Amino acid sequence: MSLDPVQVMKGQDPMALSPPPASNGDSKVSWDESESFCDSVGPKKPKSPKPENAVTIAVSTRVLFRTEKEQKVFEEKGVEEYLKYQMEHEDEPFAPGPAFPFVKALDAVNAQLRKLYPDSEELFDIVLVTYNHAHVGVRLINTINHHNLFIERFCMTGGSSPIGYLKAWHTNLYLSADAAKVQEALSEGIAAATMFMPEKQIEVSETQLRVAFDGDAVLFSDESERIFKAHGLDKFFEHERENENTLLDHGPLKGFLETLGKLQKKFYAKGHRLDCPIRTYLVTARSAASSGIRALKTLRAWGLETDEALFLAGAPKGPMLEKIRPHIYFDDQMFHVEGAVEMGTIAAHVPYGIAQKYPHKKSTNSAK
Amino acid sequence: MSLDPVQVMKGQDPMALSPPPASNGDSKVSWDESESFCDSVGPKKPKSGPVRRARKVEGGIFFPKPENAVTIAVSTRVLFRTEKEQKVFEEKGVEEYLKYQMEHEDEPFAPGPAFPFVKALDAVNAQLRKLYPDSEELFDIVLVTYNHAHVGVRLINTINHHNLFIERFCMTGGSSPIGYLKAWHTNLYLSADAAKVQEALSEGIAAATMFMPEKQIEVSETQLRVAFDGDAVLFSDESERIFKAHGLDKFFEHERENENTLLDHGPLKGFLETLGKLQKKFYAKGHRLDCPIRTYLVTARSAASSGIRALKTLRAWGLETDEALFLAGAPKGPMLEKIRPHIYFDDQMFHVEGAVEMGTIAAHVPYGIAQKYPHKKSTNSAK
Repeated sequence: MSLDPVQVMKGQDPMALSPPPASNGDSKVSWDESESFCDSVGPKKPKSPKPENAVTIAVSTRVLFRTEKEQKVFEEKGVEEYLKYQMEHEDEPFAPGPAFPFVKALDAVNAQLRKLYPDSEELFDIVLVTYNHAHVGVRLINTINHHNLFIERFCMTGGSSPIGYLKAWHTNLYLSADAAKVQEALSEGIAAATMFMPEKQIEVSETQLRVAFDGDAVLFSDESERIFKAHGLDKFFEHERENENTLLDHGPLKGFLETLGKLQKKFYAKGHRLDCPIRTYLVTARSAASSGIRALKTLRAWGLETDEALFLAGAPKGPMLEKIRPHIYFDDQMFHVEGAVEMGTIAAHVPYGIAQKYPHKKSTNSAK
Repeated sequence: MSLDPVQVMKGQDPMALSPPPASNGDSKVSWDESESFCDSVGPKKPKSGPVRRARKVEGGIFFPKPENAVTIAVSTRVLFRTEKEQKVFEEKGVEEYLKYQMEHEDEPFAPGPAFPFVKALDAVNAQLRKLYPDSEELFDIVLVTYNHAHVGVRLINTINHHNLFIERFCMTGGSSPIGYLKAWHTNLYLSADAAKVQEALSEGIAAATMFMPEKQIEVSETQLRVAFDGDAVLFSDESERIFKAHGLDKFFEHERENENTLLDHGPLKGFLETLGKLQKKFYAKGHRLDCPIRTYLVTARSAASSGIRALKTLRAWGLETDEALFLAGAPKGPMLEKIRPHIYFDDQMFHVEGAVEMGTIAAHVPYGIAQKYPHKKSTNSAK
């Protein structure tokens, strides 16, 4: 029998422990024995998947945790004071930020995926991407462990732009508090959004990941939005009617919905269609009869579907989202993002398309 | 003039096209000019099948805020006839069902029991917009369904085929739509599913299960007619309880003694109230005699022995119905056949079935003590 490295290092008698179980599980080692073996090699944590196989979500520290106090120190007193402050408070975990429930839910889905497909690398993988210096790393790691999160991949860029690394990580979604970084990511073709913290937070599910999307300029391109903004509602309906069978072009979050759909199908394949731990929602200001067909036919042609579709025809999105309680809601218009956040929904702004040039006054509603 | 992004992108001369209409519809662009504009923005698709113009919605309120409008939520199974599709779903499962729907996507559904009601709501809206062009106090119809988004295309094709105006959809892909009803400020929920209707009622939302008559009698296309039973629909079921527990004499005695005590409200009281508000808007513009909304009370109560309490209660609530029929136990079917309502609400399946047999569109409100006493069809009851 070969000498097991752990036993040798610990100076234990190699014969005292049972032979390690074969990887096909043939060994008849009892649970007690396995446990003591596992303890001896260290606490068992799941292996991190290869980035190209996983669905990689890159989050910044400012959306994963609440760092307002530290931000203030940085802005008012400069970087040296900031680093000193962080190191002094190293053992104080940060409070959860807007992306926290989302990341927790990703972990829950991963647990389900590992149960059904123990050898698959098609999992969510969370990478912490931050401007922060390595000094702050200790506090971040302490916080991650305090909250029992599973984040093993870090990118601490010490001041330079993290965007270059996003591609190296095969990032599928990038969440940040910094609109400029988010726009940079979008222009590199990476799905990205700026997250906002609701004042009051409504409870979200701990077992089912819920992701809600706006339609135009998020899943779809902003081509229809342009017509509407330039020529008004009737022209928009006319245009959509005539182009009913022409697919819309894709928007920045289409790829992310696609990856969610792939994971959903894995659950369906094992009989979990009705209780799937991932649920997607389309919440659009489009009108069903006058402009809905083009959106539905486009999704279908892409082989995508959302579990639920709400055509609001201009009704406010806030109350609907409050019922849905998504872990994240993507919209291209700050007007809708603010409306959602006001009612306690975790919303993310996708700064893409024509809507960025027309900042809405909060009092106007618009139906498409 | 600022460069319009669409024009810039297409390299057209910005001066050649008329200025874009403002979102409040102020532009004087004529329909012809709009047509040529549409032609010039891109290749014109040959239209196969019947040509359907896009709806014009500017120059009026077509998308009221849910809290201002009278929101009617209907399910697909009462708006359209979907028995065939239901059968496919029940016999072959959800994947076959979705496949079937997509294959028949261009075949519109036939009208269901709620169809004439929804058409009449549209007609009333047209009148309201004429008299009050800036008001959001209109009927707003929301399609609420368990269906998946895949079925959406067929539903939209059907809605457009029948020229209905339903722009708000809630396709819940299997989860309960009841949570959304409150978000839509729903005033009335119509469904084929008694369980969902009961859930809505327990959330305080007026709701009823609709039934398709075998033969359908013609209803008005210009005047919305809504008929209500009294006890356990407009009023609470308190009197019904006395009657069922102690019989007719005790019931009369109780009503006589409590003549001046108001009855408690029932699940449809709020809906009658919203209808009354809209009626008053027509009266204010001189349309009392030809009001496009007409309401009816059709009750098994006896007038002299138990009618006062009902009438005094309505009056105290500031409500009235245009017509009131006290039947003292006479069958409701023939009366309703004369009224021809777009919908008749009753808490007792016995009456609902009787109405449907004679071609009336009836809806069951599963509320109150009557749900525990399923009537044999042959007995009549006078109160």
